[in-house]
Amino acid sequence: MRIDVRDLVLRYGETTALDGLTFTLESGKIYGLLGRNGSGKSSLTSVLAAFRRQTSGEALVDGRPVFENADLTRRIGLVRDEGEAITIGTVEDALYFAEGLRPNWDAGYARSLLETFGIPPKANVKAMSKGQRSALGVVVGLASRTPLTMFDEAHLGMDVPSRQAFHDALLADYMAHPRTFVLASHLIEEAAPLFEEVLIIDRGRLVVQEDAGTLLSRGVSVTGPVARVDAFTAGLTVLGARDLGPTRSAMVYGDLDDTRRREAAEAGLELGPVAMQELFVHLTGGPR
Amino acid sequence: MRFPSRLLAANMVFALLLWGLLLVGVALVAAGVAVFGTLTESTWEKGVQLARWYALFVGVALVREYLPMYVAHGMTRRQFGAQAAVTATLFAPFLAVLVAVGYLLEAGAYGLAGLSQTLDRAHMFAEPTHVPLVLAEYMIELAAWLVAGSVIGAAFYRWDGGGLLAVPVGVGLVVLAESAIGTELRLPFVSRLALGLDVPQSPAVTAGLGLAAFLFGLALTWLVIRDVPLRNRPA
Repeated sequence: MRIDVRDLVLRYGETTALDGLTFTLESGKIYGLLGRNGSGKSSLTSVLAAFRRQTSGEALVDGRPVFENADLTRRIGLVRDEGEAITIGTVEDALYFAEGLRPNWDAGYARSLLETFGIPPKANVKAMSKGQRSALGVVVGLASRTPLTMFDEAHLGMDVPSRQAFHDALLADYMAHPRTFVLASHLIEEAAPLFEEVLIIDRGRLVVQEDAGTLLSRGVSVTGPVARVDAFTAGLTVLGARDLGPTRSAMVYGDLDDTRRREAAEAGLELGPVAMQELFVHLTGGPR
Repeated sequence: MRFPSRLLAANMVFALLLWGLLLVGVALVAAGVAVFGTLTESTWEKGVQLARWYALFVGVALVREYLPMYVAHGMTRRQFGAQAAVTATLFAPFLAVLVAVGYLLEAGAYGLAGLSQTLDRAHMFAEPTHVPLVLAEYMIELAAWLVAGSVIGAAFYRWDGGGLLAVPVGVGLVVLAESAIGTELRLPFVSRLALGLDVPQSPAVTAGLGLAAFLFGLALTWLVIRDVPLRNRPA
């Protein structure tokens, strides 16, 4: 499902959570939605899933406003930490309602995911551990097979193997049933391999929207003697630098063409990749 | 609109379970009174007052638990509102049937034991075996308690503490329905406080006021939830 967001504003009283966001997401991709705490990620997904109405601007899915639009909302799923889609009675009760409400519900797939995550079907949802509740949210989110599926910090409380199982299941299901995924996560390095395109928002505004590979290619680490690194990076956007004795490693943001790369090699400088998390930290203003 | 089969079924199954437990509890109390004292009144009449509080709870849960779940599963508030209204419309009569069956079972047991099933409170019915009147009274009463719960639950869900302002509205709905069936609202621990209106008793007035309280409660609930945002986790 295609998403068009135009001048989107959401306010909670005096607080502006979304401040004029504008972007477009084409259908059939896995998008990473990154932002710091309070950046507006949850507000954005809430509006896109019609959990709440925006203050102004437009949130369009397949060209139509999403709020109270039954034809759209039945094809949109948002799983978030609040757990409203699953917090009812036992695990079986939660699946009973999901099956009745989701037109593309795959009961067999849901059962296999329960086994993958080791979730007992008779367990009371409210008595389950945080990680198990998150895993149940993942089960419901994936088995609903909604054309637009969003996970907002759906991994909270899950241990490393469970998170890995979640990412593997998501990728496998995406390959078998292509659709649009939006993943909001703080665990950037873990989730980054899934992302085809990345949106970074900060203080309710769009900072970057880019193909994941392109974004990573814009970050380059330049390592070598301090003076040579400084000379090479003069005039470039330097995100940060670390020194180890006489050696400096500077992170540069921007395209380095072949000529510049040759110059670096001739100067004895080493060029390397920068992790998405590093780019994220610096693109959102560094430590606060 | 799809029929709310799962919403209704889930609540009916749970109500049946509670009804069974209440039956057992009431039977044990009645047996204890009969063995150690003198049983002269209907025990079910007293025990079944819990049904009003259960109806209130279901009304609250419809908004507090089911509305967020349905919206999270892609239903609009309008669709959920319609399903909840149908559920409330059918669930109150269902509870009334359970109450009436309880009276009949008690009548049978008292008859076998040679006991008198005397009623302690004012009712639309003179005998617990007057099933149509038993159904009518409890249907009106339980429907009003259910929508009172949904109004109060919706207000608390939307405005947190501001929901307190909806409590008098819920009480008003219940008082209207209790007055329609010729009784008063008596609350636990404040038995001296009896709220009621002096309403002329006739089948038309009773049915009209009962229906008005129910529909007014549904309408108020809809006004609160029609664009309610799903709650975020407290920061």
